[in-house]
Amino acid sequence: MTPSPKILVELANVSKEYRVGEIHTVALKEVSFKIYEGDLVAIMGPSGSGKTTLLNMIGLLDRPSSGKIYFEGRDISKMSDKELAYLRNAKIGFVFQTFNLVNRLTVFENIELPLIPKGLPRSVRAEMVKEALLKVGGELEWLRKKPNQLSGGQQQRVAIARAIVGNPLIILADEPTGNLDRASAKIVVETFLKLNKEGHSIIVVTHDPEIANCMEKIYVIRDGTIIGQYYADPKESLLNKISGGYVSSGH
Amino acid sequence: MALYMLFIDFIRLATKALKERKTRAVLTIIGISIGPLVMVMMSSVVRSYSDYIVERITSLGQNAIAVFPRENYRLSEEDLSFIRSMPEVMRAEPFYSTQALLKRGSDEVRISVFAIDYKLLFEAIGSLEIMEGSIPSGTLSAIIGKKVAFKDSGEQYFMLGDVITLVVPKIEEGTIMGKKNVNVKIGAILKEYGGALIVDPDSTVFLHPEAGRKILGMRDWSGIFVLARDPAMVRDVVSILRNRYEDRLQVIAFSAIAEAISSVTMAIDFINFSTSLSAFAVAIAGVAATMITSVMERTREIGVMKAIGYTSSQILLLILLESIMMSLIGGLAGILLGIVGAHFLSLRGLTISGLELSLVLSPKITPSLIIQTLLLTIAVGLVGGILPAYKASKVPPAVALRYE
Repeated sequence: MTPSPKILVELANVSKEYRVGEIHTVALKEVSFKIYEGDLVAIMGPSGSGKTTLLNMIGLLDRPSSGKIYFEGRDISKMSDKELAYLRNAKIGFVFQTFNLVNRLTVFENIELPLIPKGLPRSVRAEMVKEALLKVGGELEWLRKKPNQLSGGQQQRVAIARAIVGNPLIILADEPTGNLDRASAKIVVETFLKLNKEGHSIIVVTHDPEIANCMEKIYVIRDGTIIGQYYADPKESLLNKISGGYVSSGH
Repeated sequence: MALYMLFIDFIRLATKALKERKTRAVLTIIGISIGPLVMVMMSSVVRSYSDYIVERITSLGQNAIAVFPRENYRLSEEDLSFIRSMPEVMRAEPFYSTQALLKRGSDEVRISVFAIDYKLLFEAIGSLEIMEGSIPSGTLSAIIGKKVAFKDSGEQYFMLGDVITLVVPKIEEGTIMGKKNVNVKIGAILKEYGGALIVDPDSTVFLHPEAGRKILGMRDWSGIFVLARDPAMVRDVVSILRNRYEDRLQVIAFSAIAEAISSVTMAIDFINFSTSLSAFAVAIAGVAATMITSVMERTREIGVMKAIGYTSSQILLLILLESIMMSLIGGLAGILLGIVGAHFLSLRGLTISGLELSLVLSPKITPSLIIQTLLLTIAVGLVGGILPAYKASKVPPAVALRYE
């Protein structure tokens, strides 16, 4: 009998409200949600549905207005901001739609950024940076370049390298292909599938069904509520539509 | 070790951030450098001259008092006895003084002549030393200053034992009746005393006290030189004499002059410090404006850094390091320019009118002045950077990532 996969993140009746002056917005309404070890999940929904808010909650970037979030079984409401920062550094990797690379730093320095708070020696960091870049299909000659000297797809791979350099449990990607052409998007998706195969849990927020169908499970969110959970249809995936092939995640 | 590495990495990141906005950083650094420049330049020059003047005056003896008769008053034996009878007074001796012309070959040099008790003279001016010869005993021998014996070129004109001719006012019945020549033998030559205030031993011929009456023909004492038992008693002696003689005598305590000059220079120093502080205050505003703009522009970047695990205090340190680095660069540049400026400023010299004294001194650049200036400049960076750094550290990561 195979042991049931470990729960990494659990959201229990999580709500998030924002108040700006007189305007009161409910971004999430009593959402309950679990991320398991090795998950390959897409969160889909239209703009303003609460996808990013949900991703921020999973990524410990924000605290809920009500409800509980457990990270590896620990209630995060009892943790300080400093403890959350340590957790994010050690366990979570983030990939953003606009890459969010620092253009004044080289590719090497960008990928190295999450390793600095860990206090690792430079030689160790250099090895980890190279390994991460190669893992996402990058080339070592990029290391000395500035991000704006690379194409969009290359920049997103650098951003993914930055997300995985610390070997996190979970990679959270917010519209990672939103600014890319289909060929670059395909490479990014393939990179995610490869990383998932290596044991990383991948959560991708997208409004693109072809990207969502590259994952295993799809959660659909609307008006701050998860309205459905489906298994992805590989035939409708971007990978299938571009090349007619599909890289299995192995799940 | 890990903390040290983190600090080095943060300095590297802060340097890159400053380099990215070079023009803004350079302008801010220029703004910062003005405070230390003014502080080092002005303070070092003012302190140099004030310390020199005070040191010269204090070398005259902190327990020394000079008493001069005002117009229409003649010092008498009774006055001398009264002063000597004061318990606070250790010694009191009358002296004669006049101006004279010295014939030195074809030149005539203007000098001062003092007929004063030699022992009292050396007691009152502690740093006065004889270069050649010994204290003479007769009324026809003199002790002469270095500038009397030597020409301006440094060549010695008068030797020990030479006879010099002084042209002094001829006084009959208390009134000047023309000029007369006085010949005295050189018994001793003094070592160079240096720039002098009130008394200039280098350009003076000192004679035995009796020579005042016998050789110079002066009827009245020019003054009485008084030594108090203790510097702390000077104030009492001055007060007693002023109360007794009111406007008839002028009582000058050298320590009081030193105190007065010290307080004036302290006031100048304070004004200079306040002016520098104004420049520092403007620099704080400059640093704050630069850093607030920088933080606003980098809000998203700060959000990313927080998302990938930087703590609030690490963000605070990172931003603060940028402002401190700008301050350090500005401070060092300001100090260097201040040192250069101080040398230029001090070249102008200082002329004390009345004493016919011109001084050109090197600025007094001390480690304490540099450290004080540098600490103030670092404080500029800290104060100017703390609010932007705090704001950056407190911005929630989710909010920072949404920032457009």
